[in-house]
Amino acid sequence: MLGRRPGQDAGFLDSIGYLAQDIPLYRRLTAGDHIRIFARLNRHWDAAAAQDRLAALNIPASRPVGSLSGGQRAQVGLSLALAKQPRLLLLDEPVAALDPLARREFLASLAEAAAEGGPAVILSSHLLHDLERVCDYLILLSASRTQLCDSIDKVVATHRVLIGPRQKPPAGVTVVKATNAARQSRLLARLDGPVLDPSWDVHEVGLEDIVLGYMREAASPANGTLTAIGEAS
Amino acid sequence: MNTLTWRLNRSQVQISAAALATIAVLLLITGIAMAGTYHGFLGTCASAHTCADGHSLLFRCDGVLNAVVYATMAVPLLFGLFWGAPLLAREFEAGTHSLAWTQGVTRRRWLAGTAGWALAAAALWGAALSALVSWWRLPENAVGIPYPRFDTGTFDIQGLVPVAYSVFAVALGIGAGALFRRLLPAMATTFAVFVGLRFAIAEYLRPHYMTPLTKALPITAMTPGAPSAVPAGSWVVGPLSAIGPNGHNYGDAIQFSFMPAACRSLSPGQWVPCLAARGFHSQVIYQPATRFWAFQGIEAGIFVVLAAALIALTWRLVLTRDA
Repeated sequence: MLGRRPGQDAGFLDSIGYLAQDIPLYRRLTAGDHIRIFARLNRHWDAAAAQDRLAALNIPASRPVGSLSGGQRAQVGLSLALAKQPRLLLLDEPVAALDPLARREFLASLAEAAAEGGPAVILSSHLLHDLERVCDYLILLSASRTQLCDSIDKVVATHRVLIGPRQKPPAGVTVVKATNAARQSRLLARLDGPVLDPSWDVHEVGLEDIVLGYMREAASPANGTLTAIGEAS
Repeated sequence: MNTLTWRLNRSQVQISAAALATIAVLLLITGIAMAGTYHGFLGTCASAHTCADGHSLLFRCDGVLNAVVYATMAVPLLFGLFWGAPLLAREFEAGTHSLAWTQGVTRRRWLAGTAGWALAAAALWGAALSALVSWWRLPENAVGIPYPRFDTGTFDIQGLVPVAYSVFAVALGIGAGALFRRLLPAMATTFAVFVGLRFAIAEYLRPHYMTPLTKALPITAMTPGAPSAVPAGSWVVGPLSAIGPNGHNYGDAIQFSFMPAACRSLSPGQWVPCLAARGFHSQVIYQPATRFWAFQGIEAGIFVVLAAALIALTWRLVLTRDA
């Protein structure tokens, strides 16, 4: 990672910020305590920025973090991760447990922090709308494999649903997922160029459907066990 | 690292300090009074040949206090349960280890700082408590009756061993926390292993640290109420046993059927003189008082080595396992 192996390397640890799924914080300490204590554990700590961030969000720095709301705790966690001034920020489903409003605010402040010449951010989430709103690139992991890795704009631009008679797929497309009815085929496909064959109707498709298509295909029995091959196609 | 460790464990340190201070005040007040009584008593008993009665003089009304002093035996266990076990288990349980591990300090330094302070605190507290109790028991140790400092129980609360027990208990708690990553299993394991091991070692291993001495006594020593004939302050390891003229060990009582026929026909009051006349004697097995510090050193060494092994295990568990 960042050209180095993670592990027993303080310099490396300095350059990543990490926020785990359930926003672990020392519940009996206040946000201010966290900022002061972690200042001694990190070389590039920006305590003032973290305090300003919390003040701007109206999060009390003098109350034990255990008494804060989930959204406030997530903001404290993000402020601490950003205070390290990392080069890379890893967020493991930080918004999974938040209510929609807190989630939106969290992502807005994350986007703001990343935009100001901040760190590169890797955000893992199952909430595709959130990803579409704040992220530039999408890496789709399913069944332990990278299914898709591209900019979100490009993913949306190159994927289409093709509906046409049940036949061989047109040239110049890679089928992600095919759904066959008696006469008709519905293909989710990546297009390498325009589809010229007039027997296919071409429809635009949203990110969520694209991702679901990849995930269903990756999870289908055809990719799992040999016995189910016939059923899958 | 040190600030973090201090902020997370401040309340335990404060509670322990308050408890230690309370015990210290209690023991200092009563100990000073007792030392005065003891020295006054020594001045008179030597001429009157009643020094062996010193125990009753010193401890006329201190049942509760004596219980407190013996209860300090449990203090290392409390360290293990409330300092050692939560140290890592609480971090894993709350997930805060992933917060600590992604700051700009390596896991190695985090563990060294966290565990190092807990172990140092245990050694310090154990030493302070042991010093207090050892000092408090000075007059009773000198009188040596009824419990010399070598006896099981009094041995365990003074000298070096309380320090070693404390360090071991905390290392055990830390290790259990690293293994189970949950507080309750870590505490339960700490309790069970500490109590079990302490008992097993004190009961079965300690008597054998050095080959005990044997002393032959007249068979009259077997009669109830006869004074014990081991040197003062010795630890009597086994019961008095009766030895026949051919060297056979009859244990702590000779059954009627094993007595020589000539003795059996006599009235019970005549048995002991009869056995003595036929070459029976009794023997006592003991560890002499001079070995006290050697035994303290051996037992403390055992627990320090065990503690080191547990810390090595913790090191492995924390540094090699994934978050």
